[in-house]
Amino acid sequence: MTDAAFLAHYGPILLRGFGVTVLCWAFGTVFGMALGLVITLAQRYGPRPLGWLLRVYIEVIRGTPFLVQLFVLYYGGPLLGLRLDAVPAGLLGLTIYGSPYFAEIFRAGFAAVPRGQIEAARAIGIAEPAIVRRILVPLALVSALPALVNFAIVLTKETVILSIITVPELMYRVQNMSAETYRFLEANLILALFFWALVEVISRAGRRLEAHMTRHITEGR
Amino acid sequence: MFSLPVFFQSFEPLLWAARFTLLVSVLGIAVGLVLGALVCAAALSPSRALRGLAALWVSFFRGVPLLVQLLLFYYLLPVIGINVPAMVAAVGTVGVCSSAYIAEIWRGAIAALPKGQTEAALVIGMAPRHVWTRIVLPQAIATSLPSLVNELILLVKASSLVSVVGILELTRASQAEAATTFRPLEVYLAAACIYLAINLCLALAGRQLERGLAR
Amino acid sequence: MDAASVELSRVNAFFGPFHALKDVDLSVAPGRVTCLIGPSGSGKSTLLRCINFLEPYASGEIRIDGQLVGYETPGGKRMSGARLRAMRREIGMVFQAFNLWPHMTAQDNVAEGLCRVKGMGRAEAAARAADALERVDLGDKLASYPSRLSGGQQQRVAIARAMAMEPRLMLFDEPTSALDPELVGEVLAVMKRLAAEGMTMVVVTHEMGFAAHVADRVAFMDAGELVACGPAKDILHAPEDPRIAGFLRTYLERNAF
Repeated sequence: MTDAAFLAHYGPILLRGFGVTVLCWAFGTVFGMALGLVITLAQRYGPRPLGWLLRVYIEVIRGTPFLVQLFVLYYGGPLLGLRLDAVPAGLLGLTIYGSPYFAEIFRAGFAAVPRGQIEAARAIGIAEPAIVRRILVPLALVSALPALVNFAIVLTKETVILSIITVPELMYRVQNMSAETYRFLEANLILALFFWALVEVISRAGRRLEAHMTRHITEGR
Repeated sequence: MFSLPVFFQSFEPLLWAARFTLLVSVLGIAVGLVLGALVCAAALSPSRALRGLAALWVSFFRGVPLLVQLLLFYYLLPVIGINVPAMVAAVGTVGVCSSAYIAEIWRGAIAALPKGQTEAALVIGMAPRHVWTRIVLPQAIATSLPSLVNELILLVKASSLVSVVGILELTRASQAEAATTFRPLEVYLAAACIYLAINLCLALAGRQLERGLAR
Repeated sequence: MDAASVELSRVNAFFGPFHALKDVDLSVAPGRVTCLIGPSGSGKSTLLRCINFLEPYASGEIRIDGQLVGYETPGGKRMSGARLRAMRREIGMVFQAFNLWPHMTAQDNVAEGLCRVKGMGRAEAAARAADALERVDLGDKLASYPSRLSGGQQQRVAIARAMAMEPRLMLFDEPTSALDPELVGEVLAVMKRLAAEGMTMVVVTHEMGFAAHVADRVAFMDAGELVACGPAKDILHAPEDPRIAGFLRTYLERNAF
């Protein structure tokens, strides 16, 4: 196969794989974060037993490998009547996998808000829900931001594990390509460089975002 | 439906394979500690070239997914004429990957030491070498211990990926078991339980360490 | 604005086993200024925080204009959150650490309470906030974030934030202790102005000059007890209790050149 034919054949396939990778990552990050925030708020303001239950959830998910979680969901799910295709299973798996890490990051963020900021709001008589919405959550988000970005980067790398349950993302496409062309080393090298670049780009964007979000808050005198 | 007997029966073959999960993780962190110390030293060295190299090392091995690194090494080593057992390649990859994280843990622990500590040692006339061995390193190593336990927990989970290069550890064994029994739910849940048990033990040990350090 | 009176009788407070306030009695007449002085850990801040129930007291009574603070009846159950908030609306508080909200501008810090508590519209709240900041000489800092303000300016924003709520009583918890010496004056000047306007004020402070010149009464606390309370000149210049004399002596020694 000539290089041009090679490119014409695999180019679009790899591009589509890249699209699926980015999609999986964005989905897992957004929904994992949302679920994590809900978990943290439920632990803070929900009834005690719910808090314990969520603690168990957090420990179980954080204590087991993502790959095994995917196997349980994808291969074990049908036995419980949960029959999912590879892509929905992958998206659900990423969301579940990320949520306890995000929850712990939010928890630390909430803990980092100085008590005085809350007391100042109480002292002028602002109602608790408004304090949570207007003071606590914004400040917690800002102090959690570096860790949130960091974990979002970790998630980009976890997406390659989805290839093992045949989600057609970039890793999966590249492995197929290397099996068809016998160019295993080159294929994996390209993949490595690609992810390296992706992670660098996201970390840089993350640092920009942090600088922007904290521009009023850090001592800038 | 979920069958408890099948669930319990799967533990025996899986526990046997879990020894390899532990082996890969422990050897991996050992390699990581040694390489990580070197990388950290390079990152803190006065030589610009060494610092750049260390930064590149950390950025690459933290930026590339472990699964990709594993396959890369798996296919790379034979090409450059190195024929090693799969187990050695697996431990090597896991160790190299964790060295990047460990170097950062140590760099952070050293950076977190208040500047006044070293200054206090320097003003009483301590040699820089002794400032390192007597003041900086003992404290930095102590404060980094909980993070290192955490890193070990990450490796136990990450070691599930070496199943793809054919190491018969916990995850690979559960795949084989699921294929023969056709009961993936019970088998994979049993595997998850074993991972959880290992990691809870490690986390508990880590917490004890932290409490010991706080005193 | 009608200033409120404060009445404490036999107030006790605990932190776990630690007896932080022991049978404290204190009364502050409307429009008067009382300074609380004493060594650190003597319970001054705790006493102040009990007055707006940031710190729940265990027994005794605290009344503002005769209305019990924090409980439905003496020794009874806690008042509801809504009632507590209504009560706190009347009490302004200024903290040692300013506690401005770092993600809001000076103007928004002041406007937040007006919107959330007084239910004002954004525009009206912003105008009122600008007024309040003008009164603490910060009319030119409306759009500044706290991190861009000096400590003295931050504390004046905090005072404006409290004053905008039109309280009838102001509590100050060591308002100048976190400030560089050269910034203390501007904050004290604002407080002096408030006192002259007839605000009831309870001030925990180490500024003996402020206590001597502005306070109607000075109360000395030690180890959770209110040792003595009287006109500033009696307490500061002719203390009867040896503990007060000792405290003032170390204070003077520390501040002597």
